[in-house]
Amino acid sequence: MNKRLRWGGLLVLGLGVALIFLMIRTSPQPAAEVTVGAALGGDDHVDYQRADRPRSFHFPADHGPHPGFRNEWWYVTGNLIDATGRQFGYQLTLFRIALSPHFPVADSAWRTNQVYMGHFALTDVRGEKHHSFERFSRGAVGLAGAQAAPFRVWLEDWALSGTETDAFPLRLQAGEGGVALDLTLQANKPVVLQGDRGLSQKSAEAGNASYYYSHTRLPTQGTVRLDGQTFTVQGSSWLDREWSTSALGPEQSGWDWFALQLDDGRDLMFYRLRRKDGGMDAFSKGVLVDAEGQMRVLRWNEVDLQPLGEWISSKTGDRYPAAWRLRLPGEALDLTVTPKVADQEMRLTVRYWEGAVAVSGHAGPREIRGQGYLEMTRYAPSAPLR
Amino acid sequence: MTPLLWRALLRHPLQHPWQLGLAILGIALGVAVVVAVDLANASARRSFALAMERISGQATHRLTGNAQGVPEAWYVQWRLERGLRPSAPVVTGYLPNAEQPGQLLQILGIDPFAESPFRNPAADLTGSDFDLRALLLDAQAALLPEALGERVTLKRGEQRFTLKRAGTLRGPELDGLIITDISTAQTLLGIAGRLSHIDLILPEGSAGERKLAELRAGLPPGLRLERPDERNQAIADLSASFSLNLTAMSLLALIVGIFLIYNAITFSVVQRRMLLGLLRALGVSRRELFLGVLGEALLLGLAGTLLGGLMGLWLGSGLVHLVTRTINDLYYVLSVREFFIDPWSLAKGAALGVLATLAAAWLPAREAADAPPGAALSRAHLESRWRASLPRFLLAGLALLTAGGLTLTFSQSLAAGFAGLFLLILGCALWTPPIVVGLVRLNQPLTARLGLLARMANRDVARHLSRTGVAVAALMVAFSATVGVGVMVDSFRGGVAIWINDLLNADLYIAPPSMEDGGNRSEALTPAALTVLRNMPGIAGVSTYRGTRIDLDGRPITLIAVDLAPASQAGYRLIDGNAAAAWPTFQTGEAILVSEPLAYRRGLAVGDRLELPTDQGSRRFPIAGVFLDYGSEHGRILLHRTGYERYWRDPATGSAAVFAAPGKNLAVLRERLQERLGPIQPLLIRSNRDIQTRTLEIFDRTFTITQVLRVLAILVAVVGVLSALLALQLERAREFAALRAMGMTAGEIGGLVSLQTGFMGAAAGLLAIPTGLLLASVLIFVINRRAFGWSLPLEVNPLLLLETVALAIFAALLAGVYPIWRMARTRPAEALRME
Repeated sequence: MNKRLRWGGLLVLGLGVALIFLMIRTSPQPAAEVTVGAALGGDDHVDYQRADRPRSFHFPADHGPHPGFRNEWWYVTGNLIDATGRQFGYQLTLFRIALSPHFPVADSAWRTNQVYMGHFALTDVRGEKHHSFERFSRGAVGLAGAQAAPFRVWLEDWALSGTETDAFPLRLQAGEGGVALDLTLQANKPVVLQGDRGLSQKSAEAGNASYYYSHTRLPTQGTVRLDGQTFTVQGSSWLDREWSTSALGPEQSGWDWFALQLDDGRDLMFYRLRRKDGGMDAFSKGVLVDAEGQMRVLRWNEVDLQPLGEWISSKTGDRYPAAWRLRLPGEALDLTVTPKVADQEMRLTVRYWEGAVAVSGHAGPREIRGQGYLEMTRYAPSAPLR
Repeated sequence: MTPLLWRALLRHPLQHPWQLGLAILGIALGVAVVVAVDLANASARRSFALAMERISGQATHRLTGNAQGVPEAWYVQWRLERGLRPSAPVVTGYLPNAEQPGQLLQILGIDPFAESPFRNPAADLTGSDFDLRALLLDAQAALLPEALGERVTLKRGEQRFTLKRAGTLRGPELDGLIITDISTAQTLLGIAGRLSHIDLILPEGSAGERKLAELRAGLPPGLRLERPDERNQAIADLSASFSLNLTAMSLLALIVGIFLIYNAITFSVVQRRMLLGLLRALGVSRRELFLGVLGEALLLGLAGTLLGGLMGLWLGSGLVHLVTRTINDLYYVLSVREFFIDPWSLAKGAALGVLATLAAAWLPAREAADAPPGAALSRAHLESRWRASLPRFLLAGLALLTAGGLTLTFSQSLAAGFAGLFLLILGCALWTPPIVVGLVRLNQPLTARLGLLARMANRDVARHLSRTGVAVAALMVAFSATVGVGVMVDSFRGGVAIWINDLLNADLYIAPPSMEDGGNRSEALTPAALTVLRNMPGIAGVSTYRGTRIDLDGRPITLIAVDLAPASQAGYRLIDGNAAAAWPTFQTGEAILVSEPLAYRRGLAVGDRLELPTDQGSRRFPIAGVFLDYGSEHGRILLHRTGYERYWRDPATGSAAVFAAPGKNLAVLRERLQERLGPIQPLLIRSNRDIQTRTLEIFDRTFTITQVLRVLAILVAVVGVLSALLALQLERAREFAALRAMGMTAGEIGGLVSLQTGFMGAAAGLLAIPTGLLLASVLIFVINRRAFGWSLPLEVNPLLLLETVALAIFAALLAGVYPIWRMARTRPAEALRME
């Protein structure tokens, strides 16, 4: 689906901003995103492949890259806990970005149109600390890349790797600045093809869509290293895979994305697209996956979302909802989604809030709990929270 | 000191504008040369530092390799397996601009994704519209300096590459720099798969040391981790001797300037002996007079220094081009050729100018203060005092000459060599007045026969010794400097010509064209081309060469791997070691030959061992011989190909030399080679004559700056002759008037003046020859040896000596023209009424 629907355009913008940041350390806060986007040809779809019809997915091939599309990502989030009850949240996202539809003339091994961006974050719930890192590299000379068999996506020493025939069990390794993860993820539920058989339409325009599949519940174990200490942990992760060549909707201003794992075995994904006028866009949607892996699509008007309170980043001044109430009247679900740590703002070249959340509430008369990940793109300082 | 005294003192120079102007010009020229050379040296240093800084950036360490660079796999491995960050790959090199001959552009290939902690070459790009996407995707995209157009065409050998502007580098320090993506740089420089180096930022202190040790432990031989600042210093030091030589030669010009100032001030004191005596009688104290004359000199010095500073700026902007070109030819590439005005250079020049003036004015000022009150210090008294002190001159000169000789004999350093040189020059200068008197005496029998006029002219020189002695000494120093430097350059050139003629004795030389450009020197002959050479009929022998830079205690030294035909061996003149024994040992590939400068610097002799860093680790090679070489002042090492391949991982051959079979027509052979080699590889085939000519061209280019300094010294000398003799003759206007009143014609007096100035010019010119030859010997046998480590044969071109004497006489005669013209125009009675 298109939870991170706007990532497409935003990524290109972000990459441009990041590149300039990388070259010019003294540059002020990136302001001219539009200019930069234009410089990188952000809105030019010509000659890229597009997600314009349903396709059949083949694994493990589709775990690998689709370089003819402009953007692609491997997006892993999860909640972990050690034997003493110490909780961690983590995110590792590897983005692939094509700078041009076709591969350039290969005069040197370093020449490529494929660029990788990585975001890595660890939330230390007890320490109320959030560590986030970012890196870039070109997809050449082995510095970064993606391949289906054996499955491997890597950005230098941040890597997701599988076996000869499958992505799972998936090994996740990342480390920087005294924070490191080494986790193994098992797939217990079948793959979820989002939207229409994996085609996630974003707007009425043909091709303005992505191919999107998820693994919504991945039992996880491994180690977390933090400040010289190593914790043996286990928990549950979520993988989103998406590739597309799509544009930003002019009427949309941002989104809020929920990936929740409930303790009754159900997983719920929903993203709300915010319209510039403050309303929920009709392309907002989600999915509900039951304990056996059976899924059903959630339409925008099946879900009622209410922000609760407000958290203002002391570092950036950006405002985000402090918590959410998410109701699914059709399923008699009434959930409160609360960040495990208030400040899980990703202050990187693309600024957003993404972090571990705790879920509590009711499924009909029954009490229900859960956990998951929440992503909120930046709310303009003056935007109404509704 | 009263204003009246000042007015009394200053009236004199203002009434003698010629004297004043020429004295100021003398100081100005001396200061100008010193300032110009210092500015040029400082600019070259600054250019180098900038070029290095923009390459090194913030890196604390870098991984480098031999001629082949570093395999890029190392970078990937470090990043992936060790997570080594910050680290950045760099591909850099120089390519000539195809549209502007002689302009080398520095290519800096970077990975923008790894770049930010290291360099900020694009600092001025803030807010500009550089196209990063193009930089990554387009093999023609580059960030170009402002000075270049929208596109630039570079060449590497036969290949041409056009780059388009994808952004602008602003600022003089980015001049001559082209930034591209690393992929583009690899393509441009033709080094696929390799990096020039990998930059690292390691933490300071023990953590960094640990990391460094850990990284070093994993390195194969041939790759090394070093500190870029130390490395850059070592490279910058390569040209240190060259810079020091230039500085010393500029000081020579200043010394000539000091003599001119001394001459001018002495002269003005002597001229004013009446006034000075009067002032003393009026109650002016000795101290006041002393300070007055010194102050007057100071004003003169300040004016000259100011003018000299301005001239130095102008001259320096011209010299910097010559200095950087020489450094480019001989030491390292300088792509920045900006003229930087270093305020420190100007300050040094100003201080030197003022101090030199004060030092030069010290004696005359004391002389002035010693004037007895009332009675003017009589001219006769002064002259007799001078004559009485002639033995003292001889003794002091002897003392200085001895001190100079001892300094040269018992010191080792280059600076002490120059100190000894200056002592010798001063000693010779002190001997000049007594010798002039001697010459006058010698001349007496001759002039007696030539008539009254000649006798007067001759005796006048000795009679006015207080003025003429100093003037001749000053001129002698000036001309001797030109003789000394001229003979040294001639000798050097002669030595190089013989050396290159012996060394390049093969018929044809074959090399990839890029070797010519001074850019990428790692290009090689293909094995196929070598096979053609070896199997071609009509070829009697082939020698092959491969040069690589190795590090000897942090200094880059050229190692040449050779496989020499017997005739090529004969071209190397062994100055230590027996050829019959040396060559067979050398052929095993286990022994080396070292060049004379290397042997001199490290005190090496046949039988010693020299430790070289090979790709297989360190190894001590015995020295089989020392060969004569002017190729590099830092030394070169010859190793047989078999040994090179055994210890270095570099199978390539850089160039080859071909001996034609006896009786073969060279032109035909060359054509046939061209035909056979052309399809295999673009190669340059040149005759030995071509290369010899080119080598001597580079030599001449190198010495252009020396010649410029020499011409400047001549100019100072000519100004000196003019000012000294002009003043001397103008002062005698009254005397001439008296002579005319007694019946002498204007023509006869003109003859008298010409004879006298001509005699002085000839004396200065003649005395300059032995002094100049002494100077040349010191330059050749002491200075060159210590600065560059090589021995040169002393070669004297008689024409140069004749030229010097002729120039001195001509300048002297020229100095007489104005006084004669003025004297002829003035009625004797009027002139007699003057004063």
